[in-house]
Parts: sequence; structure tokens; C-alpha cells
Amino acid sequence: MGSCDLKLYYFNLQARGELIRLILAAADRTYEDIRFDINQWSEYKPKMILGQCPVLELTDGTQIPQSMAIARYVARETGLAGINNLEAAKIDAVVDTQRDINETFYGKVFFEQDEIRKAEELEKFLNETLVKHVENLGKLKKAYSQNESYFVGNKLSWADLFVFQSIKALLKAIPQVKGKLGDQFKQLIDAIHSNEKLKAYLDSRPKTDF
Amino acid sequence: MSRYKLYFFNGRGRAEVSRLIFAIAGQKYEDIRYEGSEWPSYKAEMPLRQMPVLEFEGTKLPQSLSIARFLAKQFNLAGRDNFEQAKVDAVADTISDLLGKFIPPRFEKDKTKKQELMKKFFDEKVPKHLQNLDVLGKLYGNDGPFFVDNHLTWADLLFYDILETLLGIDENCLNNYPWLKQNRAEVEKQPRIAEYLKSRPKTPH
Repeated sequence: MGSCDLKLYYFNLQARGELIRLILAAADRTYEDIRFDINQWSEYKPKMILGQCPVLELTDGTQIPQSMAIARYVARETGLAGINNLEAAKIDAVVDTQRDINETFYGKVFFEQDEIRKAEELEKFLNETLVKHVENLGKLKKAYSQNESYFVGNKLSWADLFVFQSIKALLKAIPQVKGKLGDQFKQLIDAIHSNEKLKAYLDSRPKTDF
Repeated sequence: MSRYKLYFFNGRGRAEVSRLIFAIAGQKYEDIRYEGSEWPSYKAEMPLRQMPVLEFEGTKLPQSLSIARFLAKQFNLAGRDNFEQAKVDAVADTISDLLGKFIPPRFEKDKTKKQELMKKFFDEKVPKHLQNLDVLGKLYGNDGPFFVDNHLTWADLLFYDILETLLGIDENCLNNYPWLKQNRAEVEKQPRIAEYLKSRPKTPH
């Protein structure tokens, strides 16, 4: 495949694009990382298949919308989706579990406008939801992992990248999360930071608000 | 002793798409259904204390869509290569977005608020997502009635299932989308699906 046979269209943000970029970085896969600001969106929107982004576009022009469908596709293409269907399913289960939490956090806390409700929901999230989630991820890791750092089997998968990215985004949004995570993710985070290709990407990626 | 065990409540809910996959694949499985009152005593056995859960050769998998995708791949209903699978996933995720918007009105306890939310859901959110699904079906469907490359995949089954629930509330919601209507008709016609729909337990949800 040629060097620019893959194009990723997304805002100049991490948000729903970053997981895809991390997978491509871990695989050292070249692609065109098309980033635009919010005021350029009206130019790009009509070109996107469902008027949303991220979108992955192949050389023949076919577009795939939906950040997770794109992530899963590039993970499979680059060997980061497990060694067989069952491993792929375990990876999906970890990803979906993390997604549930992300949706709860962004839906009920981050985007809540009412200050009092926001504070209540944040309290609930920190003391109940997040605690349970950390436990749940621990249970899945125990059931599916065959090594110290990664969630499934013996090597890095896109589930590890998704949990890593989600935790980082959460820490940035509410630093008080740090105390609730304990040591659960330390080995994962260390492993990702010592991965040469990921370290190079993480050091050089644009700094954005989120 | 079945290789596959599916654990859920006695209802369609988030398990039904997987039951449809088993049905069309002609695959036997243990269809374990718990009543609400007995669920608390089984909760601790499930990895995340939720259902549905698929137990496959002793390993338990949570998360309804991951289960469905796994089963679909086991039975060649997920798309024939990685790229087809990505298109199937994109359709499934769009359907899932629609389901996500349905949850707040569906579970709202206050009757007045529920009515408001349902109205807004059917007036605004449903047309937007159905329009998107119409676009994807026509773009990926290769001139056939199914969402991706002219053969039935789990995306068609998921769409069938979610719309069954929505049509139960607003029987007109697909009227402006003949392609989507035809897609559901094609799913219903499949002999194993028709048989399953006739014989499955009748439950309110």
C-alpha cells in the first residue's frame, strides 16, 4: 500500500480521533492526518459521508464513519486486534466497558450545564462509578490477560490504547481522578510510554485542548 | 453441554440480536433467561455484574455488541473481509447511536417528561439516524436489500431488532424510508428467522 492511501479526517483535537491515531502510530503506519479547526468544519462537513467526523477514507474514495468502527478496522489491519476471533471479542468487551464509562462521564458530568447537578454527578462519578469501573477492568484483565501490562493475551491491543487514552483524557479533565485510580493502570501506562513508536508519537503530537 | 450459553433476562432487550444470529446460523445454544427477582442471586457470577453475557467454552464475555460481533464472525455473518466488517461496524455503530438516544425517554419515570422526551426522540433523533442509515445502506449495499455488499450481516439483524421496538411505539416511523422498510422485510423472510420469530417467547420488551 502507498504512503497516503489512508486519510483520516478529524478536528485538530484528540477526542474521538486520537484512538485511531494511536493505533496507526503503534503500527508505524503512514497516513494523512487531516486536521481542521471548528471554523473550517462547514467546508469539510458536506464531503463527509454522514456529515460527521472522524472519517477514514481509502484510496478509492470509500469512506468509513464511526470512530470505533474505524479504530477496529485499522487495529485489525495492523495486528492490534488479537490473534483470533475470541481474543478480538475480549478486546471488544474491554473497549465497550471503557466506552460505557466515557459516555457516563461526558454525558452526565463534563457536558452538564447546571452547576449544582454537575457537582452532584461528579461526586457520584468519582466515588461510585469510577471505583466500580476500575474494579471491572481489573476483573477483565484477570480473566483475559496472559502478561502483566496488557488487557488481553500476550501483547498490546487497541483495548490498551483506548483505556490509556481515556484515562489520560479523564485525568486532564478532572485531576482529582488520580487518587481513585490507584496502581491499576501503572504497568499499562509504563508499557505504553516505553513503546518506541508510541513514545515518538506522544512526544510529537499537537497539543490541543482535548 | 452446549459450547454457547447466553445469559439474559426473560426479554428481548440487548440480547435479542445475538438470539437472531444464533437463529439464522442454525446454531444451538443454551438460552438462559433470569426473572428480575432471581437475577440478584446470579449477579456475582457475571464478570461485570451485568447481562447479557455469552459463555463460550468456559470464558464469559460481557457487552452486547461485542458478543454479537463475535457470534457473527463465528458464523460468517460479519462481512467477508476486514473492510466489509468495517462497513458492517459503521452501520451497527450508527444503529447503536440511535439506541443510545432512545434510552433516556425509554427509562424516564416521570410520565410528563417521558412523553416530552419520546416526542422529541421520534420527531428529531429518529429521522436523523434513519436518514444516515439510508445513506449507508445505499452506499455500501451494492444495490441489494442488505446494508453491506448484498448479503445479510448482523447489521441487518441489529437494525431489525431495534426497529421492532421503535415500531412498537410509533408504527409510522419507517414510512419515509422505503429502502429501510424493504431491508426489514428481507430479514423477516429468511426461513430460519421467520421460524424463530414465530416460536420465540413473547415478552413485552
